[in-house]
Amino acid sequence: MSDSTPLTSLADARHLLRRTGFGATIDAAQKLLDDAGTRGAAADILLDFDPTKFKPGGKYIEDRHNKWLKYMIKTKRQLQEKLVLFWHDHFATSYDKVADVDQMSLQNRLFRQFCKGNFKSFVKAINKDPAMMEFLDTVRNHKEQPNENYARELQELFTLGVKDPLGNPNYDQEDIVQIARAFSGWDYDDKGVANLHDGDHDKGDAEEGWNPPRGPKVIYKNRGGFNDPSGQSFDAGTNYAAEIDNVINIIFQHRYGAPGSERSTVADYCAHKLITFFAHPDPSPTFVQQVVDASNFASTWELSPLLKKIFVHDDFYLSAAPPGMDTKKSVKWPIDYVVGTLRMLEMKLKGKYQYVDGGEGTSAMDHLTNMGQVVFFPPSVFGWDWETSWLSSSTLLARYAFARDVTGARNGSGKTSFRADKLIPLDLPTAGTIVDAVTALLGVDDQISSTERDALIAYLTDGAGGSSTPVDLTDEALRNRKLNGLVATVLQSPIYQLH
Amino acid sequence: MAITRRQFITRTGLATAGAFFGPSLFRNPLLRRAMAETIGDRYLIVLFLDGGNDGLNTIVPVNGGSVGMRTDYEKWRHDPATSGGIRIVSPLVPSLPMTDTNTGTQLGFHPGLASLRDMYDQGRVAVIQGGGYPEYSLSHDESRSIWRRGAPLSTPSTGWLGRYLAAAGYLGGDIPAVTIGGSVAGELSQTATSVLVFERLRDFGFPYDLDFDSDGDPDDTTFKNDVFNALYAAASAGDHPFIKYIGGTGTATLLATTSYPELHDAYVNRSGSLNDLYQNDDPPGLNTSTARNLREIAKVIYGVATGAANVNARFFEFSNGGYDTHSDQGTDNADDQQYGLHKEVGDAIKLFYDDLASMAAEGSAGSLLENLDSKVCLMVWSEFSRRIEQNDNGTDHGSQGPMFVIGGGLTGGIFGDHPNIAESALDEDGNTKYKQDTSNGARSTDFRDVYGTIIKHWLNVTDQPTLDSLLPLDTTLGFSGPDYWTAANFDMGFLP
Repeated sequence: MSDSTPLTSLADARHLLRRTGFGATIDAAQKLLDDAGTRGAAADILLDFDPTKFKPGGKYIEDRHNKWLKYMIKTKRQLQEKLVLFWHDHFATSYDKVADVDQMSLQNRLFRQFCKGNFKSFVKAINKDPAMMEFLDTVRNHKEQPNENYARELQELFTLGVKDPLGNPNYDQEDIVQIARAFSGWDYDDKGVANLHDGDHDKGDAEEGWNPPRGPKVIYKNRGGFNDPSGQSFDAGTNYAAEIDNVINIIFQHRYGAPGSERSTVADYCAHKLITFFAHPDPSPTFVQQVVDASNFASTWELSPLLKKIFVHDDFYLSAAPPGMDTKKSVKWPIDYVVGTLRMLEMKLKGKYQYVDGGEGTSAMDHLTNMGQVVFFPPSVFGWDWETSWLSSSTLLARYAFARDVTGARNGSGKTSFRADKLIPLDLPTAGTIVDAVTALLGVDDQISSTERDALIAYLTDGAGGSSTPVDLTDEALRNRKLNGLVATVLQSPIYQLH
Repeated sequence: MAITRRQFITRTGLATAGAFFGPSLFRNPLLRRAMAETIGDRYLIVLFLDGGNDGLNTIVPVNGGSVGMRTDYEKWRHDPATSGGIRIVSPLVPSLPMTDTNTGTQLGFHPGLASLRDMYDQGRVAVIQGGGYPEYSLSHDESRSIWRRGAPLSTPSTGWLGRYLAAAGYLGGDIPAVTIGGSVAGELSQTATSVLVFERLRDFGFPYDLDFDSDGDPDDTTFKNDVFNALYAAASAGDHPFIKYIGGTGTATLLATTSYPELHDAYVNRSGSLNDLYQNDDPPGLNTSTARNLREIAKVIYGVATGAANVNARFFEFSNGGYDTHSDQGTDNADDQQYGLHKEVGDAIKLFYDDLASMAAEGSAGSLLENLDSKVCLMVWSEFSRRIEQNDNGTDHGSQGPMFVIGGGLTGGIFGDHPNIAESALDEDGNTKYKQDTSNGARSTDFRDVYGTIIKHWLNVTDQPTLDSLLPLDTTLGFSGPDYWTAANFDMGFLP
């Protein structure tokens, strides 16, 4: 893998854009190719943005959902929004429990702020995020009975994982109990600023006289590569508010592996998860370790260089290939499916409720609900279930219905309508050239087999023709039926569900 | 005034109990094979009464028993002769006495439930009193969600039946369950297998685009079908595991969009079909949404029981709305609000079981149709009951209420204790207290005991670790005390 590896194929450029954003047109891919030349340069272009301060507004959470969706569709900062979506799944927080629209928007903006920034600072900020403090009960963490919820998920889900890559547990119950003490007494004010109520904070055995004593404020006595059975202390004396930062500092020093070949647990865990999101499930340990080492992530904690190393790696480009026994592909998230499709068809959703202007005028939010992903409502702190968990009879039918609605939006003239005539040259002469243009439009031309191509041609010619059969797209009635139908068919095809 | 869970700050609640609702258990292939098909040739239907059905006027005290319950009842619910009174003057008493074992109070049904009373007399209705859960919520959304996920104190993303479906080993290309409605019912929520959703079979189908200008244009659906089948067949034969999976699931889905709608004709055309009775306006009472929803379920059950190709659903969910009777709740009169709801549901259920019996008569010994009406179990729940004292002419949100389990294969009767409605026994909101002990004069029924009894006795799950994992005790989350569900009773006795 190398920054200087040339980026020469349109397929690779489209793959890069598809994975680092939500669907890209052929023109956008060509432009990237022209501007970049190498994988490194392309990654630099994509990573070159200052995160915006966008915060979705609106009276109800549905309005804020729609504002965010609209932003995803139209922003040029596609990688920014893709990262925000990743962090929303990683630090999963649901409005179901938080029940405060402002806190959800504040958290959304926090994800944007740190999306490619310093991961350690990010986690320290999440400690104090009001929505997170509600969701994982930090605000209900009192010195008499420290609430362990955040202390557990902070380690299990956000930073370390239950076990390291070699299968050894990263923490134990005692670590959870001790970390919970650090967070006791934390709350936030009505401006969303976190603060510590001393009176509710476990100040330690001496001060509080706990019976039984809770011991010194230390963690990782028996693990984490510290090799100190007395544990790592996060005690900050009377500067109680510093304890939670100290906890993060210690977690980020956690290491795994045999002596002499130890690695940073947090770095490998975080890199692994980013790879599974951007590239494919089940990356090799080599892939993970190479990107961590080449970017110096375990020292700097800077996400942008880490992301760049992922985007230039050979393994990242492996999943650009058509699906075969050994290819690694991912299933498109419902957000990928909806936002990506609209962007590739250069369409917008309509009105305050962001509905598709075809079919029964179903809102995007309803379509996404049926597909199993409503942002601001992850099913649990574990986030959404990825890959084939996205797909079942009902969620596939939901995708098919969306495809039908989008290509059925034929009654208007603006951007909320499906304008096949603007996307495909109408002078394409034959079934074969038309099918090729449509599959290229939707980014699957390099993915489908000749059997599938033949099936699409059969559809286009009503079963009567072949690749060289003439088809007249200037015939509006034919176009309305067959070209729209062809696009819908590709959107409903198996390969289009993957990337 | 609603008490939100958020106000209970002493809990160490978990945002999720993923560790407890153990997916790891379900990935054991040996266990899953053993779990598969535990429902056998039976069916399970869940009916949700949306809005919070007033339990006190559904199962009504007829006399005082040892605690003077009827006297208390009359104190709280005014005589209908006075303006707005919602007292049930003449509860329908079944021939098989329905007596609250705790207090000896004789009970009767709301007059609108004549059909249910008749079924009770046939031993086909189990009334389970005091159904609720600890730290009960008076918020529709919150409480409904709690009942559906079967977890009052944690927030798994799965429904209680969904966890069973996943544990039983159903896969993405299977369709073990159907929701009659607009989206997958929360009880069935999971990511392992498919739940079909439709309102009416006749309208269910593949989302074909039919809106293009069809002045004599040929029907495109045949060609759509052909290309879809070709693409998905190619995928099913593909190498990549995801493509293979999509191929299989998509093919099953497309099949469902043809095999399911066919069930409509098969049902309507069967000799002796009771189809018309569901939409009968004379006598009035049927031709309701509940009747027509149940009829869709009857169509699917008939299909499964007659071996229709590619139809295997045995779990169903549907709902009836309108139970949030803050005002104009009414009383014994046929025109009244709650009366109408009860009549709708009671009559529809009775017709449905008559329909099943009629189908069973078609079946030879040993066939899937045989004794069909004894193979279908129907559970009825609502997200809460209502406040004991009435307001002007209705009731506000309350705590625990009766659940019903109905069918031919069960042990009918009355289970659990009637909640204590004496003034001294109510909480500061005027609701009956939920307690798992008898310190308040009556022991509540945790709804999880009802779910668990169904899972154990109707779905034949006897492996204890599996049962523990589907419905973990409150003690596993660190809760203890008289309100909490600390000991499961999955042998409540209404199912053999």
